[in-house]
Amino acid sequence: MKLPAFLESRQAKDSDLFLHSLFLAGESVYLAGYTSLIDLPQSIVMLRQLALNAAGAGKALFDRDSGVGTPMREPSEQEVLDALAAGDALICSQSGDRCLRLIPVGRTLSRALESPTTENVLRGAISAFNEDLDTNVGLIKKHLPSDTLRIRSYSLGQSQRRKTVLLYAEGKIREQLLQSIVQKLETLPDVDIPDLQALSDFFGFPKWALITRYNTSELPQEAAFALEHGKAVLLLDRFPFALVLPSLLSDMFVSQNDRNFPAIIMFSFRLLRVLGVLVNVLLPGLYVALVSVNPEVLRIEIALSIAGSREGVPYPALVETLLLLLILELTLESAIRLPTTIGPTITMVGGIILGQAVVQAKLVSNVLIIILAASTIANFTVIGFQNATALRLGKYLLLVLSAMFGVLGLFVGIVVICAYIGHVNTFGVPYLSRWKAGRRYG
Amino acid sequence: MRISARRLVLFAVVLAGTLALSGCWDIKDINHRSLPVVMGVKQIDDTYKVLLLIPDATPSRTDVKIISQSGSTIDEILDKIDRNMENKVDLLHLKVIIFERSVAEKGLSQSVESFMRARDISNKTLTAISVGALEPLFDKLTSSSTSDGTEMYDFFEKNAGWSPEVVQTRIWEVFRSMDSFTRDVVIPTIQPGLSTTIESNGAAVIKNGRMVGVIDSDESLLYNLFKGTGTQGKIEVMNHATVKIVADRLTRSSELKEGQATMKGRLHLKVTVLETVGAPTEAEIKQEIDEQLSARFQSMLRAAQAKEADILGIGQYFRDKLSRENLRQWRTKYYPFMKIEFKVHVIIQDEGLLKMKR
Repeated sequence: MKLPAFLESRQAKDSDLFLHSLFLAGESVYLAGYTSLIDLPQSIVMLRQLALNAAGAGKALFDRDSGVGTPMREPSEQEVLDALAAGDALICSQSGDRCLRLIPVGRTLSRALESPTTENVLRGAISAFNEDLDTNVGLIKKHLPSDTLRIRSYSLGQSQRRKTVLLYAEGKIREQLLQSIVQKLETLPDVDIPDLQALSDFFGFPKWALITRYNTSELPQEAAFALEHGKAVLLLDRFPFALVLPSLLSDMFVSQNDRNFPAIIMFSFRLLRVLGVLVNVLLPGLYVALVSVNPEVLRIEIALSIAGSREGVPYPALVETLLLLLILELTLESAIRLPTTIGPTITMVGGIILGQAVVQAKLVSNVLIIILAASTIANFTVIGFQNATALRLGKYLLLVLSAMFGVLGLFVGIVVICAYIGHVNTFGVPYLSRWKAGRRYG
Repeated sequence: MRISARRLVLFAVVLAGTLALSGCWDIKDINHRSLPVVMGVKQIDDTYKVLLLIPDATPSRTDVKIISQSGSTIDEILDKIDRNMENKVDLLHLKVIIFERSVAEKGLSQSVESFMRARDISNKTLTAISVGALEPLFDKLTSSSTSDGTEMYDFFEKNAGWSPEVVQTRIWEVFRSMDSFTRDVVIPTIQPGLSTTIESNGAAVIKNGRMVGVIDSDESLLYNLFKGTGTQGKIEVMNHATVKIVADRLTRSSELKEGQATMKGRLHLKVTVLETVGAPTEAEIKQEIDEQLSARFQSMLRAAQAKEADILGIGQYFRDKLSRENLRQWRTKYYPFMKIEFKVHVIIQDEGLLKMKR
């Protein structure tokens, strides 16, 4: 393959590719790379300096030890393209028989460190991960200045090479867990990993699982805390969060940030989150069970007031609840997509619609609005958006069972949910296990 | 994990089965049920008449209505009412059952048995006996109902309007007494009040499901003390002082010698002095309480013994001392001749804001 000719033919297809001829240490060479990834003027300044240094030491430019770059010996087309796609620059001689690959001055294509967007921190470090993998690794290193931290990097995928970094703390992580993860990663799959679903498939996690097998966090201190407690952290390039393996039930309730509060307050926060989960999952089902199947459980006063508030409501309790839940879910979903400028308007309109008009139109009872508002608020007491969404599904199961079998159905539903989360495990670590560094499981 | 076709079919079958077999289309929402709070039972010759007090809830306020129907059995009457009502009559929330005095005198057995057998009536429903006719009482309940018709329930409810002079008797207790050798019950008597909705002036003595006598309010208090129902807050009026009972405890022992049953009861009271007339000493007050309560207790017991109605369930303390044959005769052979030594031991816990003579 004649390199300059290949690059020129490639340039015809890809206008982003530049082929710049220049003189370095008295030799006429081509410099090639992607304009969008390389800061050309800065890189040329750097190159000239490197070439001068090499000449001063009496080394030829394309020598292995010239210090300019890594020589590529008769590279294949794919190797050249991979090097370019990775953002490296190539220098090749006019004849094209010699070639160097070097790291140029790149353009800044990542945002600066910012505060997290989905996890708020009240007390604690507020810088969050961003899209740049090296920044993320650096952030974790800053938060965990320890010599036990081990880093292994992999490149996954065939047509898209995604850089992936596995971090763990030597001596803290359970050996079996580490082996399982490393074994999977070292198969270096041909499938691309464009999203977390693909990653989940690659790890062999069930496709229809309600509970994600990895916990995600935007916060470096959460990742560092997980590492220190013997979990593994996976960072993917262009993903602004860390994947913590394995995920546990306690991830819903326990955040490292809590430890910045006094212990009693920390435990009350956690208790509150547990209550929040129970309220969120049980309340809609309980309402339907008590209103339509087992009204004898209610006290007479509240039974009468609910009966009064439901007077004239045309639908059975289940349909009524599902209707309002649908609107609530729509509100939640649309709130994510709304431009921030329109957000408050929708909140106001939604509030008026849900709060007043629906009741006055006698479509639903006002007790139900209280119940569902409480349930929705309670939903977001748990840590992690992915956990909150998993909970949202659970309440529908309880709702349907309650509508059929009343309070009994509610309890059957709880048993079903408990059985389900009891069987979930990540690389052999049960979801319900109580995690302690260095402890054996399974 | 791939979901195999077999699993999908299984899932579909389970889902279809659950939906088809659940029977949830028979479920009636709470606003399609009538929830009677009070039921009145009266008897005219051989036919029963049942009155139901049903709160009728609307979003803004709650009205109360009375539904009545007659028939030969209570079940038949309820069936008739259900047929004619626009809602399903649901007795799950029935709180109080009121019998007219004439029903109680003829015997409650048939109706109590049918209540116990009915699955939707709670066994802990309270009972009461109306001294006069039922209709004026129900009219009074309707006309004075300010909220949701739960006045009658609140009257007996411990965390609402209950006071220690009112006896609480549940339907299962009446049922238990009907077949028991050694236990009878009292059922509170009520009537429409002049200024208040309801007035209670004592209780009816029920022996084997039949009303045989009455006790008054003061005796009802003693009955409650004996049963161990908390009587805190009670004001006891005497010649020289008014005291409030703060805590009470009863110890008892029983003895059976040569066919003579003897019971020793000792009531420990802690009281607070609220008011004095003149200047009684502590000892005087203590003695007066003892004398007054003991005398009242003895007179209540004499009356009950004369009717052979063991309302305090004293026979329970002799169950391990008598054979089953003899237990059968407890009411006739032993109870009327039983002796009881009743002492009241008083501790004045607090003299209130008064200076008292030692």
